[in-house]
Amino acid sequence: MELIRALGALAEPPGPETARLAELLDLGTPPDEAAFSEIFLFQLYPYASVYLGPEGMLGGEARDRIAGFWRALDLEPPPEPDHLAVMLSLYGRLAELEAQAEGETAQKGWRRARKAFLWEHLLSWLPFYLTRFQDLAPADSELAFYGRWAQLLQDALRAEAADLGPQATLPLHLREAPALEDPRKASGENFLGALLSPVRTGIILVRSDLQQAGRELGLGGRIGERAFVLKALMGQDSSALLRWLASWARQVSKSNSEKHSLDGDIASFWARRAENTASLLTELSQEASDS
Amino acid sequence: MDLKKLNERVSASRQETEARGETFYPGASRIHLASFPPKERWDDWVELDSKAWPRRKEKRFMLVPTTCFNCESACGLLAYVNKDSLQVAKFEGNPEHPGSRGRNCAKGPATLNQLTDPDRILYPLKRVGERGEGKWKRVSWDEALDDLAGRIRKAIQEKRQGEVMYHVGRPGEDGFTERLMAAWGVDGHNSHTNICSSGARAGYQYWTGIDRPSPDHARAKVIFLVSSHLEAGHYFNPHAQRVMEAKKNGAKLIVLDTRLSNTATHADYWLATQPGSEAAVHLSIANHLIQTGQYNREFVERWWNWKEYLAEVHPGLEATYENFERMLAAEYEDYSFEMASQESGIEADTLREVAETVASAGTRFSTHNWRSAAAGNEGGWQVSRTLFLLNALLGAVATPGGMYPNAWNKFVARPIHLPRHPEHWNELTWPNEYPLAMNEVSFLLPHLVKEGRGQMDVYFTRVYNPVWTNPDGFSWLEMLRDEAKVGLHAALTPTWNETAYFADYVLPMGHSSERHDIHSYETHDGQWIGFRQPVLRAARERLGDKITDTRQVNPGEVWEENEFWLDLSWRIDPDGALGIRPFVESRKQPGERLTVDEYYGFIFENSVPGLPEKAAEEGLEPLDFMRRYGAFEVAQGMGQPFEEVIPSAELEDLAEDPFGRVFTRAPAPPLVNMAPMGAPDPDSEGRRVVGVRQDGKVLRGFPTPSGRLEFYSSTLASWGWKEYAIPTYIRSHVHPENMATDQKVLISTFRLPVQIHTRSANAKWLDEIAHTNPLWIHTGEAAALGVGTGDLVRVETEAGYFVVKAWVTEGIKPGVVACSHHMGRWKIHDDQQVEGSGEEGQRQMMATVSLDQDGAQWGLRRKAGAKAYDSSDPDTKRIWWTDVGVHQNLTFPVHPDPISGMHCWHQAVRVTRAQPGDRYGDISVDADKMHQIYHAWLTKTRSATAHSPDGTRRPRWLIRPVKPVKAACLLPVQGSEA
Repeated sequence: MELIRALGALAEPPGPETARLAELLDLGTPPDEAAFSEIFLFQLYPYASVYLGPEGMLGGEARDRIAGFWRALDLEPPPEPDHLAVMLSLYGRLAELEAQAEGETAQKGWRRARKAFLWEHLLSWLPFYLTRFQDLAPADSELAFYGRWAQLLQDALRAEAADLGPQATLPLHLREAPALEDPRKASGENFLGALLSPVRTGIILVRSDLQQAGRELGLGGRIGERAFVLKALMGQDSSALLRWLASWARQVSKSNSEKHSLDGDIASFWARRAENTASLLTELSQEASDS
Repeated sequence: MDLKKLNERVSASRQETEARGETFYPGASRIHLASFPPKERWDDWVELDSKAWPRRKEKRFMLVPTTCFNCESACGLLAYVNKDSLQVAKFEGNPEHPGSRGRNCAKGPATLNQLTDPDRILYPLKRVGERGEGKWKRVSWDEALDDLAGRIRKAIQEKRQGEVMYHVGRPGEDGFTERLMAAWGVDGHNSHTNICSSGARAGYQYWTGIDRPSPDHARAKVIFLVSSHLEAGHYFNPHAQRVMEAKKNGAKLIVLDTRLSNTATHADYWLATQPGSEAAVHLSIANHLIQTGQYNREFVERWWNWKEYLAEVHPGLEATYENFERMLAAEYEDYSFEMASQESGIEADTLREVAETVASAGTRFSTHNWRSAAAGNEGGWQVSRTLFLLNALLGAVATPGGMYPNAWNKFVARPIHLPRHPEHWNELTWPNEYPLAMNEVSFLLPHLVKEGRGQMDVYFTRVYNPVWTNPDGFSWLEMLRDEAKVGLHAALTPTWNETAYFADYVLPMGHSSERHDIHSYETHDGQWIGFRQPVLRAARERLGDKITDTRQVNPGEVWEENEFWLDLSWRIDPDGALGIRPFVESRKQPGERLTVDEYYGFIFENSVPGLPEKAAEEGLEPLDFMRRYGAFEVAQGMGQPFEEVIPSAELEDLAEDPFGRVFTRAPAPPLVNMAPMGAPDPDSEGRRVVGVRQDGKVLRGFPTPSGRLEFYSSTLASWGWKEYAIPTYIRSHVHPENMATDQKVLISTFRLPVQIHTRSANAKWLDEIAHTNPLWIHTGEAAALGVGTGDLVRVETEAGYFVVKAWVTEGIKPGVVACSHHMGRWKIHDDQQVEGSGEEGQRQMMATVSLDQDGAQWGLRRKAGAKAYDSSDPDTKRIWWTDVGVHQNLTFPVHPDPISGMHCWHQAVRVTRAQPGDRYGDISVDADKMHQIYHAWLTKTRSATAHSPDGTRRPRWLIRPVKPVKAACLLPVQGSEA
């Protein structure tokens, strides 16, 4: 599936080839390096492990599972197997191998592998990740290219899902994902860190979300990585911030529920996680307000 | 547009782009390697100037490939030639190189330092005072060439060919200079190999007929290294990356290394063996495989020369395989784990576990030994031989993940002219006492000359520094200073060294981006050639300039060797009377000297299968293709050539010996790959060897006398060494039984990870990382001596001592100390300016010393260490180190192994606290003792005169860099004692 591979290549820093790919895909004016940095380096890190790992960080078990997929195919996993460009390139390669395979059995084997990769490692997070481009890369902004790119990738993945058919079980990443623990019960758990783990919370919290929260709540923003900013905001008015986050989680849950019919159990999982997060944060907010 | 059409559009565009040889997707950095510039943009590559930040200032480069010239691996480099200044700005890896695959160690990029080294030699120099006095004048190349050519011509005319010698350290192109020596009719090639790898080579050659190993690490299940391979061993970059690949796939790594080297830290089993006991460990594993039946019986039956073994060693036994297996088990039954444990100090249970791990590898068992134990010990050649025994038992020979003889994983192209054979035998390099020496016994040269066995009228040293590198350097110094022994010494070198101080001419040669060579090395199961080229020449030619001589683009008057040798050969034979000219003459323009363009153009057009076709696909001539990409993969997946069925055209009037060796009268097909290998003798009626009989067919077999893997070496048996006819264990000269109780073993053979002998000493980045060589000493022993890290100790060898700083560590076995041979560089004259070439010496890594001689007593004392200095490079003002290590090799006597001729580096030493008056770096040597020790080792030999079975000086089938005509290979008085 060359289209998907080409879309993956656009998640790499822009180079001379970007313009050619952008033109081929009718995506309009190619992005500059600043746009790339803003979207992929500051907001939406293009690594599956950030969204599927319980730590919400690069690497870890989520990356190992994806590397394991390469090994299962007797392929040498690359250093960053969970980078979006690498994953989409592998997907393209699997389609190629399927097309080149001799005999029906071999062909079916590659198709099974492609389907497993699509559902386990791509559709388990990408629909929710790509949705965030709608508000972070709106049509009238300098990041508009990436909004169009995300939409096209979203469409292409949906088409693939339709072509390959549904998968019966929830992806392992999601089945094994621990929930967001109630800080009142958990011992020593880094609750703020866990809030930045999408697979636990069901929400993807990026830098600009935190900035927005600060602005709307009249809190002083700090410059730094997300955990640092979150801690700083919490230190100023935890009740308001938790309320804000709960409301945000509820919106996300609603949005994911609406997709339920389209993306099946996966969307349901993400919606449920967001709803649970909303409930927990609401409770915590009230407690903080009372104390 | 719908998704399907978009998909088709992208596919079509990709196909079209890739059909043009261009890259469609930007360097898939996370999928393969760090993104390399796509090759279609190598003519105009843009990077931002980091120094201009935050401004976006573009710098434009032309990317030109070449081949690294620091260690022997010949990894690919990509020179970034600044298009404005036409100078090299940096070196990175060449992604098109099949061996290194775009990856380099620190020494590759540091080539830039060597180009810009303010102390490098830029012009030909001639001495004007006494040899070694440090007085030089700049001369023209013409003057130097005419002088050299005149002397060589006279020597040849007067039949004194034996007085011309070329002594090489780092080899350039495979066979280039050897062919020129042969073209001159001179058996004058001398290498450094007997202080390097000839021990290991012997072990491999007796087994396979091929003298180098090519392990297929990447596909191995178990890797067994007798060396510090990942850090500093041979081919460490191409091999190390493949070892790590295998490890990532779950391979087990077994490392025999007395030191806790970087390699040992990566091992699953680190066996810190007693130096010299390695063969015993190997044999205990072999014994385990044999006694437990965990060996590949079918392979052994099929490919070992067991019938010959039975016939020679057990003539009374019927020649059945079952009988052989019984005898095999009996031969090795004494090599129990307990016995090996006693020798090595490794626990028997650990050895058993290792042996089971080896057994589990099956045919995916890769092994390697090159220097290390094979270079350290008397009998070290049995280390590689017993190591290969494990491969031979498992059938892990030329299998995926196994061990290939290197000639199958290497490609040497046929040159434009093939030389004749010299008509004399050089007794200085191949003396009578060492008929089985794998290579020239180069390190004995001063002693042989001292005994009046010969002298040299013209002596070339070429990227070789025997005064510093070889054992017993003061003997070298004595020889080089004596004009009766060395008439003229020309040092061909890019940079000053301890040997060049004692030259008559110092002739500046280019670094890796300033010269031509073709290389091919055994890095994996495939064959490739790499092209080294003067990158500024290639860059200027891309811009349309015509360059006819590499000096036009090199700094100063730095030249490349190939043009130098062609020119010199042309001048030696001005009228063609000596018959040399045809070997260096143009075919396109008869009567003219061959140019390097024609020389390489011919090879690439005619001698490299597949290259012309590949070049044509891109619309290029083969030479242009190599200038553009720097490397070409000739073949992949060589399989097992010994199983090849010989075509019937090669089978004519066959004869067969009792063990199935087949001879033919059919002429040999033209040799495509000229990689060195054994050349077994024809039969008594002149038929050439063609193969071996197996299952009724004639198969290619191995280039050994028997055509099979030689478990039993008839060569060793018939040349007087019957006791070593099969792989066995020889107790080293540093075995505890050969040492006094207060002596320790000194290991000096290891490298420092970022340096490579004297080659890299003018690379400032590397010097800053590694510039000294303290003595590794175990914590307990240091405590007993009362020394701590940094304290001075005196290390006493058989013939002198050196004073060095201690480095106290748990990473060395008690009873053993270790000091890397890499350091201790020196110069005699401080601030001695040499016209046109800065200073005599290299200031970043050389101490200034005084040399003191009192009769046979020699001393060296450090007067000043390295220090900051003003130069064209502002970094030289930032030199913060003064310590450049200690030159321990001066105190080592020669230890020639009586069979392989290898210098056995390990020393039996006494380590004491420094004495009053001792200063760091002090050296003291008794030259008389040195000569006595040389004689003591001579008594171990079994000479050709006494033991040659056929009146020859050396088994003809063994590899020799230059092979004289058959008549010259006969002993002077045939049959007198034979």
